[in-house]
Amino acid sequence: MDMIAPLAKTGLISEAMNLWLAVPIGFVFGLGLYYAGFTDSRRIARAFYLKDVGVPVVMFSAIVTGMLGLWALSLIGFIDTSKMFYLPTFLVPMAVGGFLFGIGMAVGGFCPGTAAASVATGRIDAMIFVVGFLIGSILFGDLFPIWGDFYNSDYRGVFRLDELLGLDIGVVVLILTVAAIGGSLLMRAGQHYFWPQPDADVDALRARLKVQIPLVAVALVVAAVMALFPTESFIKPAPAGWFVIQKHAAAPETPEAVTAPSGDAPAEAAPAPAPAPAPARHPRGGSEGC
Amino acid sequence: MSLRDRFPPVLAGVVIGLSMLAAFVVAGRGIGVSGMMTRLVATVQHALLPELTEKSAYFGRYFAGGANPLDDYLSYLMVGLLAGAFVGSVTAGDFRLEVQRGPRISTGGRLVLALIGGVITGFAARLARGCTSGQGLVGGAELSVGAWAFLLCIFAGGFATAWFVRKQWI
Repeated sequence: MDMIAPLAKTGLISEAMNLWLAVPIGFVFGLGLYYAGFTDSRRIARAFYLKDVGVPVVMFSAIVTGMLGLWALSLIGFIDTSKMFYLPTFLVPMAVGGFLFGIGMAVGGFCPGTAAASVATGRIDAMIFVVGFLIGSILFGDLFPIWGDFYNSDYRGVFRLDELLGLDIGVVVLILTVAAIGGSLLMRAGQHYFWPQPDADVDALRARLKVQIPLVAVALVVAAVMALFPTESFIKPAPAGWFVIQKHAAAPETPEAVTAPSGDAPAEAAPAPAPAPAPARHPRGGSEGC
Repeated sequence: MSLRDRFPPVLAGVVIGLSMLAAFVVAGRGIGVSGMMTRLVATVQHALLPELTEKSAYFGRYFAGGANPLDDYLSYLMVGLLAGAFVGSVTAGDFRLEVQRGPRISTGGRLVLALIGGVITGFAARLARGCTSGQGLVGGAELSVGAWAFLLCIFAGGFATAWFVRKQWI
């Protein structure tokens, strides 16, 4: 049976329809950011003092939701993972970028998505943050020759945690789900330890737990079931080894996967099997994550 | 912000995660924000300095073959994101022009730090090929090693910086 999704790649919807459907998807995203309280810079920044750990809890929940959904749909044969665009790994630049990004978030109180959402709620500090973000982006692009080589260094292709750890995808999904729940509880405990609130509204807290506990339970059950399946159940031996994406694909937004023999997953000993051709000055649009 | 007018964190996360899942299913790609902002700023620079921008090692690809960088999936997503946050804040009676700041910092001080933080974050997002959403959430769901390194390092950077800017927030 042919797989249905991704709809735009299997030809079920046109490219124009795909673009228009991005609007309602973005709408839900923006609404979710608002209802997460992510349009408030103080709330985001307080996470770095463990004063309000709602931010990482939301992030973990979003990742776990997307992760369980993606791999469960792949498991039941609904979504063809070989037709998806996966983010490639440039390990050291991404780690350094993440550290700088964290500094910027603690100083500025936003990340790009939350700042954009906050601009839409009229917040002036968010508007100034976005101006700064645009300046930072243009600086990076215009002075690209200075750090271009570093930007393109440590290329690992599409490199997944299951390959790094030598475990099945389902097991990694379960581990991450448990770690997200455990991490959330641990941070919540830290918040109560460092910033005790003896006059907290117990009824309101209880009402929130009543919503959250079933969601967490469902996630645990789904992840536990997925852990029973081997990696091959999630990733069909596709003709294209999409785990190795060529560094500079032909056309932007449609990265051509290098054809690799199936089952030739990068082992942890040799995590960079990419037969990358002559080093590119800059990768094409496909490797642009966000 | 009272507890009643916002979702519990796990529920809010599920909503955001479902929007990401919808993009996986419909488009076969993730959601993202910073890419659109880069395209926006490249377009502005192109209007002022067309030749320099087209020859730019980094921005040039956006204009290859006379393309318009803003004619892109991420632009449609951004329209929806702005509308979603706007509708959310208006229906909650929370839309207002305001500088959000901690109790111990002036308005001007907050805006200066917002600008500096924006510049750092903008640079970092380009270096990491994405921001919290496009690299962190999407890559995290795809089990990308680079995305998880990015996420962990965000928290490392944030916690390392928190003490120095504490007067801004707490």
